[in-house]
Amino acid sequence: MAERKQWKWAADPSLNKMEFTKLEKDGLDVIEAIVNIYSKEGFASIESSDMDRFKWAGVYQQRPKDGHFMMRVRIPGGILNSEQARVLANIAEDYGRDLVDVTTRQAVQFHWLTVESLADIFDRLASAGLSSFEACGDCPRQIMGNPLAGIDPHEVLDTRPIVAELEKFFLLNRDFSNLPRKYKISVSANIHNAAHAQINDLAFTPAKKAMAGEEVIGFHVWVGGGLSAKPYLAKQLDVFVRPEEVVKVAAGVTTLFRDFGYRQKRTHARLKFLVADWGPEKFKEQLMELVGELEPGGIDLTSGWNGGYFYGIHEQRQAGLYYAGLSVPVGRMNAGELNELARLADEYGDGTIGTCNTQNVLIRNIPEAKVAAFRNEPMIVKRFKLQPNTFVGYAVSCTGTEYCNLAIVETKERMRSLAHYLDDTVVLETPLRIHMIGCPNSCGQRQIADIGLQGALVKTSNGMVEAFDIYVGGTLEEPQFNRKLNARITVDRLGPFLAQLITLYKADRQEGEPYWRYVERVGLSHIQAQVDAILQPA
Amino acid sequence: MGEEKAESYLYKLEAVLEKGRLLTVVVIAQTDERAFSSAENNLLRHTIAPPHIKELSLVEKKPLGRQGVGYVVETSTFA
Repeated sequence: MAERKQWKWAADPSLNKMEFTKLEKDGLDVIEAIVNIYSKEGFASIESSDMDRFKWAGVYQQRPKDGHFMMRVRIPGGILNSEQARVLANIAEDYGRDLVDVTTRQAVQFHWLTVESLADIFDRLASAGLSSFEACGDCPRQIMGNPLAGIDPHEVLDTRPIVAELEKFFLLNRDFSNLPRKYKISVSANIHNAAHAQINDLAFTPAKKAMAGEEVIGFHVWVGGGLSAKPYLAKQLDVFVRPEEVVKVAAGVTTLFRDFGYRQKRTHARLKFLVADWGPEKFKEQLMELVGELEPGGIDLTSGWNGGYFYGIHEQRQAGLYYAGLSVPVGRMNAGELNELARLADEYGDGTIGTCNTQNVLIRNIPEAKVAAFRNEPMIVKRFKLQPNTFVGYAVSCTGTEYCNLAIVETKERMRSLAHYLDDTVVLETPLRIHMIGCPNSCGQRQIADIGLQGALVKTSNGMVEAFDIYVGGTLEEPQFNRKLNARITVDRLGPFLAQLITLYKADRQEGEPYWRYVERVGLSHIQAQVDAILQPA
Repeated sequence: MGEEKAESYLYKLEAVLEKGRLLTVVVIAQTDERAFSSAENNLLRHTIAPPHIKELSLVEKKPLGRQGVGYVVETSTFA
């Protein structure tokens, strides 16, 4: 066990209970206990106080709590290589009942793991340069990025070295392994906000500034974003950060969160609460006290929002090379499919694979001469399509009751079948993003969807029936969260209801008008009137 | 630790009554089914004449394992 840090807040008697658990033993110490004790002696040997600390190893108990675990693996910036993909596939095959999920933070998730398997899984991950450590817990988690970094015609600089530096700096760094709550970083130089800056605790977005007669490409900094039950859009600080200053600034922001973030109430501990209290000006001043003077903000290079979608074959920044954006319906695949992706990456590309925050994947660096053959690969034609149908292609889902203890309804399979139904029923050539979640937390990022579906259970004469509340108009293009309609739709009616609602949009929309903008133009009351008309008894 | 005991949850339910009246009910239960049943019992206890419940829905659940788990229920505002 490493030497324990003497944190200045340790003497505060008003800390929440979890803070005392973290002071008693650092979350990272559980890794040693898992390897040396729990994986050998089994589930019954787990100290109850350590169960919460399992998160620092990237592991949670899954539903039902019968000794199985979910594990999240960090994929920094959403880029991995084929060897890593094969290691992940083998873990899923050997220990995870053949299941691999790509998450909305570009990580990979396994289910059904036993504690006995964890030491071997940690070893296997390490052998491939991967880690599950701090993928959960009150620490810097998976760093979200641009899965096209280095090849993206729409990025102003290659962020891969920056993400790698951040990962190296934060991972297993005991200066930052005891934060007030979870902490999420996003780094992208893609001008279309590929890494969802506004819903992260700390985000770096592309900017430029004339300095000493020279135009410097760097970043603007956003702090305090987050979804969950009380969503909050990040605030931009008036600073310009050179690429070589990113780690310093990230360390500064994280230090502010660590030392000034609220630890009295766990529900009031995320960075967004501190940012809301301080405001961006004070936050900037405090940051500069820590890291030194920073340049005022420059020219923002962000232009719109691509939603994190990259479908199809596209030219890269490098002439003659292409990337392929593929659809993985609701992010779920099996080990064989992940192995097949690895083969495709090796055979057609340079062996690198991107994971997208839309639960999709992409293959990078395909030479022009190989594009035609790639298109005809059975996996691409039949399963992970380049041009998925609209609704399957833009459907996102959380884990739901299948594995999550907090979920009220099943989501993953339901979202997939709902998307297929809508594709069969409504012809819509333009994207319409539907996100389904099983509880008020926001693993499926319901708030930023064109149409968000949030689960509830309704009591009927036939017993409990799963249902969904409907939210409309979310986007990060002109950032706003979607808003709730007065409608709770039982699952038997959900497909037809949405088909009618979307058909009305299709008839009323202006040329190329996305659903969120349509909601903005016609107003929520107009959409509510549509809903009321649809739901009126025949 | 051994065998896991059935966990209890703090459930939040919404009851839509006639004329659009909405009641929020919070109950402790170990299963969704029991949450509905407890909510109905609490609604009965709360009213003299049995309420005509147009719709009863379970909208959130939180594990009781942590002290202080609760809900904020928005009701009316004072002028």
